[in-house]
Amino acid sequence: MASDKFGRDEWVAQIDARRAAPPGVAGQVLARWNALPLGWRWIGVLASFAAIPFLTSNDYLIRVAGTVALFATLSLGLNVVVGYAGLLDLGFVAFYGLGAYAYALLSSGKFDIHWPSWVTLVFIGVLGLAFGVLLGLPSLRLLGDYLAIVTLGFGLVFVQLAITMDRVEVPWHAGPIDVTGGSNGLINLDPLRLFGLDFGEPLTLFGYALSSVALYFYALLAALAVVLLVIYHLNQSRIGRAWRAMREDSLAAEAMGMPTKRLKLLAFACGSAIAGVSGGIFAAWQHSVFPLNFSTDLLITLYAMMVLGGLGSLPGVVIGAGILAVIPELLRSPELARVAFYSAVVLGVALFLRPRRNGLIVLAGVILLGLILRLATQTLWPDLLSPPTITVAAESVSTAFERTAQTFGIIVQKWIILPMEPTPPGNVAFLVLLPALLAWARLQPSRLKLGLLAPLLYLLAFVWETRLTAEPAVTRLLLIGTLLVVLMIFRPHGLLGTKRVELV
Amino acid sequence: MEQFLAQLPQQLINGLTLGSVYALIALGYSMVYGILQLLNFAHGDVYMIGAYIGFGVMTAFLPASGPLPLPALVIILLMFLAAMLGCGLLGIGIEWFAYRPLRNAPRLAPLISALGTSILIQNAVQLTLTAAYHTYRTDKLIPITAGIDLGPARLSAVRALVIVSAIVLMIVLTYLVRRTQFGRAMRAVALDREAAAMMGVNVDRIIVLTFFLGSALAGAAGVLNGLVFSRVWHTMGFNAGLKGFTAAVVGGIGNIPGAMLGGMVLGLVESFAVGFISPTFKESITFFALILFLLIRPRGLLGATAVQKV
Amino acid sequence: MALLELVNLHKHFGGLQVVLDLSFEVNPGEIVSLIGPNGAGKTTVFNLITGLYAPDRGDIRFDGKSLLGLEPHQIAKRGIARTFQSLRLFLNMSVIENVMAAAYPRTHANLAQIIFRTPGFRKEETRIRAVAEEKLAFFGERLQGYRFDQPAYSLSYANRRRLEIARAMATEPKLLLLDEPAAGMNPNETLEITEVIGELRTRGGYTILLIEHDMKVVEGISDRVIALDYGEKIAEGTYHAVATDEHVIEAYLGRKSAMTK
Repeated sequence: MASDKFGRDEWVAQIDARRAAPPGVAGQVLARWNALPLGWRWIGVLASFAAIPFLTSNDYLIRVAGTVALFATLSLGLNVVVGYAGLLDLGFVAFYGLGAYAYALLSSGKFDIHWPSWVTLVFIGVLGLAFGVLLGLPSLRLLGDYLAIVTLGFGLVFVQLAITMDRVEVPWHAGPIDVTGGSNGLINLDPLRLFGLDFGEPLTLFGYALSSVALYFYALLAALAVVLLVIYHLNQSRIGRAWRAMREDSLAAEAMGMPTKRLKLLAFACGSAIAGVSGGIFAAWQHSVFPLNFSTDLLITLYAMMVLGGLGSLPGVVIGAGILAVIPELLRSPELARVAFYSAVVLGVALFLRPRRNGLIVLAGVILLGLILRLATQTLWPDLLSPPTITVAAESVSTAFERTAQTFGIIVQKWIILPMEPTPPGNVAFLVLLPALLAWARLQPSRLKLGLLAPLLYLLAFVWETRLTAEPAVTRLLLIGTLLVVLMIFRPHGLLGTKRVELV
Repeated sequence: MEQFLAQLPQQLINGLTLGSVYALIALGYSMVYGILQLLNFAHGDVYMIGAYIGFGVMTAFLPASGPLPLPALVIILLMFLAAMLGCGLLGIGIEWFAYRPLRNAPRLAPLISALGTSILIQNAVQLTLTAAYHTYRTDKLIPITAGIDLGPARLSAVRALVIVSAIVLMIVLTYLVRRTQFGRAMRAVALDREAAAMMGVNVDRIIVLTFFLGSALAGAAGVLNGLVFSRVWHTMGFNAGLKGFTAAVVGGIGNIPGAMLGGMVLGLVESFAVGFISPTFKESITFFALILFLLIRPRGLLGATAVQKV
Repeated sequence: MALLELVNLHKHFGGLQVVLDLSFEVNPGEIVSLIGPNGAGKTTVFNLITGLYAPDRGDIRFDGKSLLGLEPHQIAKRGIARTFQSLRLFLNMSVIENVMAAAYPRTHANLAQIIFRTPGFRKEETRIRAVAEEKLAFFGERLQGYRFDQPAYSLSYANRRRLEIARAMATEPKLLLLDEPAAGMNPNETLEITEVIGELRTRGGYTILLIEHDMKVVEGISDRVIALDYGEKIAEGTYHAVATDEHVIEAYLGRKSAMTK
């Protein structure tokens, strides 16, 4: 009987055990998965990733996979600084850029220095460590919030210097020297050459042709694997414990003999080194570097990846990187983006509303509302409406999936009110939607809140169809901004992070 | 050297003009940091919205050709009022949505929320108003030639307006903070939120009012910036916010006279850097000056050292 | 030779003199109690000893060597560990991790050993775990077994106090500074903690300086008692001598009580 064990410690332990293995099919699968040793789980995931170039020869897809690996590595490095040491470093991308530009200068025709790739990469690693310590030193004297601004400034200055250092005056040289190529960046960089392999040339393995993109993907995947291993080892050591202790209570940590200043510098240095080496590989992959590769836009994306996945959680950060690296690709094709968008909305409503019945009611309500509004507009102001702007492509030039997406798009465009001039009403709707959504989120759960969801979702769909599909870059950033705010308010520990208890 | 002295007065005027704008932005940062220990990243974007509101009002009242429907000064006043009111309300909104739910969360959470809010606002503007520059037609309100000559330097009417407006606003704010019940309550909340609450201060209301004030000042700064420097675009808040925060830190974060002083100092440093060293490196120079300053005197010019009770 | 010596220590905050010309010694193997009304400066003395504050004047000597100018983690490495009046555990870390983290000053694994998981590293990790379990075993069954992996925030108040002591022990100190170890405990727990402090000396071999308000604990365990008031030492001696000292009574209960004693 559970009751006579109530209050005793063993009972608590039993509940904990039960919580770790949730019921249902999903729970069973999760339990089986978690039962595997950690190493095997990671090898499984990475191996499946590694199979991608053998499953498809579409270079675009492989490139996306490579971007995921790259961003995951970067986010992991950022996670060391922010998630483990608790330092808000907003200049992280500058180290990434430093590594990239270092590669560009040391392995290219720019100054005719052609260091072997491995030498350059090792050098970049050391450079990253050194600069991490350099930037970290003044940070020791600064409160966390000052640190944020100082590092942000550092990041901006880096981009500024990259843009302006194409005319550097030095005393020993007549006329200015072009160091960084200014806003035009540096191009024609040496490809990566490691282990006798030239990553710039395709390779035939087991009778299978791997393109250069695929080879670089493997380089990035390998870097990710190495970084994962290193960070995991650090975590399970005295340094990892000290970092976590520092994050919990740095005063107590210092009193227990942990040299907090040195540990902060170490975190900075590690994060910077990871960023730098990633930058080097990136530069080789892209054959070029441009100042705008290292903007605050990237920094915010990295933070979003980290926060979405869960600060401090290794698998979380990788998953967060995966999700947020794939989204801009989805947004590239409006039809594909539309499918993803409506799927996400339907899934969200179905998953987050309890009981499930409510979700169905809301969705039915939205569809009904849309039909009514459309009918009304068609009868009263038919001139305002525009016919569908999408056409279904011929069978010969598109896949079945693309045609389905296009058909879906036409259906949606017939359901929603699609104005002739979409931009002005779309803008107005957006300006109404934003505060309405936020205010709705702060309402207490009630019938009213449920009822208001339907018109809100309709408004969202309207804004999507009129404005957001037309501006993928802005949409992506709007999404990230909303994600950051909503996550912090409702689920600060992200997808896979652990809930933290904090004493104020 | 002669050239330096000849240019000095003009750079001083430029510096004070720029500094006025920075000081107003810095005040909002300092006030919010004082009561919430929060870096309001979205503050710079509030300033940007202020510039846009001012632009909107100006465009509404400026005819395509012909005489002004209202006296120029009235139009400018309306621009100010609209921007300050609009930004004040925006600031209240931001506090309610993005910061209040995180009052008791670990310090990282509101900072990230602030970052997200900043991106949201910037891109909302880009979506609805496009990324194109908009330009203030200050010349239609204040003739370009208006101004007085002070020796080798020229104090244009617009710059004089900026400096004077900023000073007036700062005097009003100082009066509010020093002499009114609200100001006392605000200082109490900044020192010890719980104790203030126990003394009967409605902490939530004070926080809301502080946000309103700080954001209103940022809105005013936006209009002033538009009047002097003309260009308005959706990412202008980012740099300005950074500078504003730098100014607040230089003066001593949480310290109101410090924010004013810090703003002026930063404006002067930047103008001197642009005038005497190089315009291309002005961001870098300002940044390095900040770092140097923080290393030598981390608590700022007028800040107090905090004693931590263990 | 005394293990810890405070010599003419002065400390002020702004206009407030918190410690005034304080001198005393703690000898190896002793249990010394620091008592005094609230605000007497007792925790400040702890903060000065552990390097959180720097004294204005005076010296603090440990094992004959001055501690002035050292960072707190260096002082911890020299052999002084403390607990906090208002607990400062690493709440989101597990019980065993709290203690293992504090073993840091006695560990040596460098970056390379950690990244490559050398045998030397593995041996040290096993040793750290053993040390942590040993320190937790000091408290009987309470912090054992499945308790190891529970987060520190799930512990009861009394267990948290015990954990904080175990954590301090993990730094392998010579001197333990216990700041109100019995605060907030019921009579049973108070008795238990008194016994534990005694065992810390006999089994653990630690020298102990403690701050306490509960006179039953002070009486039960102290070799010597030092009384502070307004930052100054007003009495020193055995418990009985200090408890009946009129200055001490006046400090706690007011002048009238002192005169009627």
